[in-house]
Amino acid sequence: MSPWHEEYRRRYARLKGAGKSFFPHAVFKDALVAFLIFAALSLLAWKFGAGLESLADPTDATYNPRPEWYFLFLFQALKAFPGSLESVAAVVLPGAAVLGLLLLPLIDRGPERHPFDRPLLTGLGILGLIVVGSLTVAGLRSPLVNPIEEKDPLVAAGRRVYQDMNCAYCHKIRGKGGVVGPELDKVVGGESVEWLEKHFRDPKSVVPGSAMPQLHLLDDEIAALAAYMKSIGDEPFTKEAPRLFSEHCAACHKIGREGGESGPDLSLIGSARDKAALKRAIADPTSLNPAAAMPAFKDQLTDVQIEDLARYLSSLGR
Amino acid sequence: MKNALILARDWIVERTGFDRVWEVLFERHVPEAKGPAAWLYTLGSASLFVFLVQVVTGSLLAMNYVPSPDHAYDSVRFIGEKVLCGSFIRGLHHWGASFMVVLVVAHMLRIYFMGSYKYPREGTWMVGVVLLLLVVGLGFTGYLLPWDQKAYWATAVGTNIAEQTPFIGPLVAKVLKGSSELGAATLPRFYALHVLVLPAAMLLGLGVHLFLVVWHGISEPPERARRPGEAP
Repeated sequence: MSPWHEEYRRRYARLKGAGKSFFPHAVFKDALVAFLIFAALSLLAWKFGAGLESLADPTDATYNPRPEWYFLFLFQALKAFPGSLESVAAVVLPGAAVLGLLLLPLIDRGPERHPFDRPLLTGLGILGLIVVGSLTVAGLRSPLVNPIEEKDPLVAAGRRVYQDMNCAYCHKIRGKGGVVGPELDKVVGGESVEWLEKHFRDPKSVVPGSAMPQLHLLDDEIAALAAYMKSIGDEPFTKEAPRLFSEHCAACHKIGREGGESGPDLSLIGSARDKAALKRAIADPTSLNPAAAMPAFKDQLTDVQIEDLARYLSSLGR
Repeated sequence: MKNALILARDWIVERTGFDRVWEVLFERHVPEAKGPAAWLYTLGSASLFVFLVQVVTGSLLAMNYVPSPDHAYDSVRFIGEKVLCGSFIRGLHHWGASFMVVLVVAHMLRIYFMGSYKYPREGTWMVGVVLLLLVVGLGFTGYLLPWDQKAYWATAVGTNIAEQTPFIGPLVAKVLKGSSELGAATLPRFYALHVLVLPAAMLLGLGVHLFLVVWHGISEPPERARRPGEAP
């Protein structure tokens, strides 16, 4: 036992003897703080609740993932360590910090307790607070990776019907689901809404011998499901579309090996954006991203051409 | 009548030693802290209080929640729309999680800057660090349970980060997710961690932590070190 341990025990016993009883002195303060905290919690719970977004959709690549605020600093730190170094920021540094905290009392063993008597650790603590704090603020301020897209409520309702009816038991969308029925994103694009609705009412009426059961859905559920199907299917584009691309877009954008590099590579754009978002981006990029350098094409191309181009681009990478 | 009450009290005291427990827990003396610093000593009990709020609200939520991808989202909606005070209870649990993190970290900073982790309280501190990790784990596992877009994608990011760990990452991620992808196998796993494993570990850790706090006594506010020869 170090000599100061003995001295500390004596001094603490003296201070403790001179102190006040835990009840009611400390208990009063604790109860007051607990009451204030509960009041604040109740106010937040009552005013803001907990929020609930739409149902989880593992196939939606356009969602902006955001961790809970207290993980934001870690999320933000990842951005400073590109590529293979990411594991340093994600695991090695936080792991070392936790280990350091855990072993702190074995490292710092002297009798000094006042923060001014431990300038190194006090400084380290303040530095850590500043780093974590500023990373959190930077994370809160950083722009969303994907622009927020307004989603068609009918399509969202259709996605719920698809999930509720367990369609994925037999069908695949983007490689996820069963193998009994056709892969929907491959086949559904060419069909009209009327055909789809008829098919959902009675599959055998349009596909004789179909193994699909009758769904017995309400009219608005059928409309929603058809809208969802239209949103996932690759709609056919004309031969014009690739030509339009090389004429108007390829100076800045790449598809495969062809094209310029001043704009983003669009080889896989269909996996990240749906057709509606691409149409908006082509017609008026600043409506999605105010800082966009790309010119608006709504006056240079006709609506039909923009639709064609968007169908072509949304088919890439799916 | 009064005699009967005293008799009953004595009967219980004789069989439980309740009077000694009360003495040790509540009549123990605490070194006096002066001024606003005295209020920093409430952070630990405040964390305990919010933990209890989480236990109560969490138990109420578990009565209506279904941990399966097919029903989780609808059961959370049901809690918000149909259950008596459901949206308020869910709000308390949601905000309680953030409060918990803030209070536990603030409590740790108090101990860190005051040097209260030093002899003889090293073990109390180490158990405290484990408790902090458990709080973070509870926050992470609880975030997935509503099974909405935010929940799903935030957890996807989190498990991807775990996957980056050198050597053991892929294994850790697979154990967390229950399969190669985040999906039907993940949700029941996170639910079991969130309502069984982590709270049980938390209660155990809290028991040890609180025992040590009482055993060693609450640390006194720090004073500047005296140079040799200086008068005390």
